[in-house]
Amino acid sequence: MLKRLLIILVVIASGSFAASVGDVSSVKTLKVERGLTEAGKSCIECHAKLTPGHVNDWKSSRHGHVGVSCIDCHSVKKDNPMAGQNCDGVKGTDIYVSVLVSPKTCERCHPNEVHEFQQSGHARAALQIRSKDSMQALMHKFEGRNHPDLKDSPNATGCMQCHGSIIELDKSGRPTAETWPNYGIGNVYPDGGVGNCKSCHSGHKFSIEEARKPAACASCHLGPDHPDIEIYNNSMHGHIFNAEGSTWKYDSAPDAWEPGDYRAPTCATCHMSGIGNLKTTHNVSRRLKWNIWAPISKTREGGYETAVKDFENGKITKGNPLAGHPEGSKAARGEMEQVCKSCHLATHTKNFFKMADKHVELYNTYATDAKKMIDELGKKGLMKKDKWADEAFKTWYHIWHHQGRRMRQGALMGGPDYAHWHGVFELQQDIRVLETIYNRRIKTGKIEE
Amino acid sequence: MSCNTEKKVKKSMWFVLLLIVIGGILGLLTSFGVAVGVHQTSGEKFCTMCHTMQPMADAYRADVHGGNNSKGLKAECTDCHLPHDGLAKYLFAKAQTGLHDIRVENFGDPKSIDWEAKRKHAKHFVYDSGCMSCHVNLREATTANPKSFIAHKEYFEKRTDKKCVECHKNVGHHILGDYINR
Repeated sequence: MLKRLLIILVVIASGSFAASVGDVSSVKTLKVERGLTEAGKSCIECHAKLTPGHVNDWKSSRHGHVGVSCIDCHSVKKDNPMAGQNCDGVKGTDIYVSVLVSPKTCERCHPNEVHEFQQSGHARAALQIRSKDSMQALMHKFEGRNHPDLKDSPNATGCMQCHGSIIELDKSGRPTAETWPNYGIGNVYPDGGVGNCKSCHSGHKFSIEEARKPAACASCHLGPDHPDIEIYNNSMHGHIFNAEGSTWKYDSAPDAWEPGDYRAPTCATCHMSGIGNLKTTHNVSRRLKWNIWAPISKTREGGYETAVKDFENGKITKGNPLAGHPEGSKAARGEMEQVCKSCHLATHTKNFFKMADKHVELYNTYATDAKKMIDELGKKGLMKKDKWADEAFKTWYHIWHHQGRRMRQGALMGGPDYAHWHGVFELQQDIRVLETIYNRRIKTGKIEE
Repeated sequence: MSCNTEKKVKKSMWFVLLLIVIGGILGLLTSFGVAVGVHQTSGEKFCTMCHTMQPMADAYRADVHGGNNSKGLKAECTDCHLPHDGLAKYLFAKAQTGLHDIRVENFGDPKSIDWEAKRKHAKHFVYDSGCMSCHVNLREATTANPKSFIAHKEYFEKRTDKKCVECHKNVGHHILGDYINR
């Protein structure tokens, strides 16, 4: 009797265990009627079982609220290069779908967001690394060792995860492993769409709250060459965010997210939001006075980004590194100062930017001197053929690409540790190293072993 | 005034009146002819007289706009491919595109036309004023149909310069790519 009871107990216990484990989603069976077509409903009902993660995200999204469902974004016409019937639910029907959703789809409802995005530097992210031979060589030749089978992994696991890729399809219409999946912001889709909304508004929730938080930018804007999240955390803005940002309001309507909803700005507040009289923009380059990633900093007088237009005309280019405000850098700074105005007095803002601008100009003096030495060594044949084995080249690379960017970005975004210790301090060390190599090579007429 | 001159005036008055009546009849007949002509040259039958247009017509017949719908309603070629915001503009564009097509079909090399490339700038030969002369209720779409309301809001508020066919890419010709590439 006891044995039988014990067995029953074990059966019940294991049954309930099995029921709770594996329940990764609260959506197991989902019946939705409101505002959906028959085909639209069947996608949701089937994927609630197959990929509950997707449906769980969607049901708490704004798309879910207004009746935009799987099929509205994933269905494509049969003659679209991405069209496939790899899903059993649509096989043999006249519905064609793609796992890829291009900005050409998003812009059907969000035309201005996509348009503004394509006027920003973000839009060139993938195209520019494809256009530069030096970047291609770095990924495939130097890092990938020209290995016949393995040379694509540095790009796929690294570069393209932030920059995006020019997505290629295999014979069955599925994206290749060398080019997808990625969350890169400058993806080029086979239908010609450029950009990736999901980089900041992750799928399948596509949340405005998420994109307003620093985390949305931090997954790419970090590390030795552009430690923007570290700079933010180092700044007083980040200090306040980290202290109490979890209690702030992030879901105010676009253009209506203002101080009061938050006590300090996030990345989105300054670079995108419609704060005060400013209009919301998806052109993150618009409010920038300087280019502070190039070897020499120049003010942004180039108008809008051009990479997408070039691509539509059949050319892959590095785009327009001086893209910014259409009326130039003065207008850009003017808009940024308007952001500051909501919380700071004019003297505070003017003084801050006066010294930050000086730090950028100070950087330029380092970079100009360093570049002069590198160019002269090159002209005199005193640089190694393999530049990545050359101490002078490596020092110059770190001067502009690592410490020099930290120095400039730290200064302009109020991150003192990056403006100083990780920035200008390292630079004064590096320039001395470079000078020593330069003097030795000029004196001996030889490259040291 | 003499009786003779009075007669002459009367005669010429009658003559003027006759001229007006004849002119009016001729005018009516001409405009009737033009109207019939414009109508006759608006549809698939006329347009496929140029064989180049056959794939477009085949794709059109398979489409909702080509009659493949439960009501059998059809939009004629020119309902979409001519501007509908003024009669003069309409007739001018009709004459201009018509003459162009005749020239290319007979004296050009229609086989060398890259139709896929042309599709990319469809907004230059599919007119929003055409779409809007049938889809008049779209402007009134309310939150009862949130999808059409939200999707067209920026368009009607004139906050985007996108044209209808930039979003509705295959509209009018069902899977046109399949027919062009055959």
